[in-house]
Amino acid sequence: MPDWEQIVRQKLQVFGIGPPKFAEELAAHLEDSYEALRAEGLPRQQAFQYTVAQIEGRRRLRIVMWFLQEEFMTGFIPKVVLPGLITAVAARVFYWALALGNSSPRAIWLVGGQLPRWWWCLLPFCASLGAFLSQRNGGPRLQRMAASLLPSAILCTWALIVFLTGFTMSGFVNRYQSASAHLESLGIVPPGFGVVPAVLSLLGAGIAEVSTRKFPPLA
Amino acid sequence: MASVSAQIKRGSAELAVLTLLAEHPLHGYELAKQIEAQTRGVLRFDMASLYPMLHRLERKSWVGAEWRTLPNGRRRRCYRLTATGRKQIAPLRAQWRAFFQALESITGFQNA
Repeated sequence: MPDWEQIVRQKLQVFGIGPPKFAEELAAHLEDSYEALRAEGLPRQQAFQYTVAQIEGRRRLRIVMWFLQEEFMTGFIPKVVLPGLITAVAARVFYWALALGNSSPRAIWLVGGQLPRWWWCLLPFCASLGAFLSQRNGGPRLQRMAASLLPSAILCTWALIVFLTGFTMSGFVNRYQSASAHLESLGIVPPGFGVVPAVLSLLGAGIAEVSTRKFPPLA
Repeated sequence: MASVSAQIKRGSAELAVLTLLAEHPLHGYELAKQIEAQTRGVLRFDMASLYPMLHRLERKSWVGAEWRTLPNGRRRRCYRLTATGRKQIAPLRAQWRAFFQALESITGFQNA
């Protein structure tokens, strides 16, 4: 008899997340299916193939999507929203502190403005704080990642709104502004406030992951 | 037997599951098989649609679930209808009856 639970865990493990909490239930279903097919007289190999087909292809995708949704939404507020907001506040405080210490990095969407490089350096630490807090509340890996990404997601959304508004307005007001300047700012803002912070936040989530594995929290 | 579109299947699934569970508790596989047998294969649920629906009903407290050990020693997660779920059956039946009557008034289709 195949080890159905093992098969389910292998098939449904995505991005290193899982195994799903309902693996045993799905495995039981496959076991009953397999036995019914065998009782109908199908050879072992064929019965196995028909049974495994229930968690392959499009069906597998649907089950995985359902699992990810369950994983993400279970305890969403204590495991994602609260840690993410605390992290976002911490990241914002760092950002303002750096802005006060430095010259004003407020007009960042303009060409020649500053990108928050020092803030970038602090972002992994903020993000790992989010992941730690989420883990403390029992958040699984997907939710830990979401909590650590929240500050950069908020910043990215904000920066893009400001950038797009500024970009459109400057097009109307400063007709002399060259197309190359527009293109240059297009090349700076989305990566500078979207991609790079997201990557650094994920790095922070990774740091939290590795360090909690090496130094597990005291019971 | 003509096949039934996915949307109609989805809409009828909750009523089918609740009605079967009103008789006695069942685990997922038994539910799927009973629905398939009683509808002569017209309604057929695979794992990818059955379990998300069962868990959704459980979250709404329409059904409860618990692990039970069967006489053959195997563990199965059995679903039973809750009092809240029982209250949903009559309104759902009424909705479907209204749907079939509306359809009948247009097409002359006879509700079985």
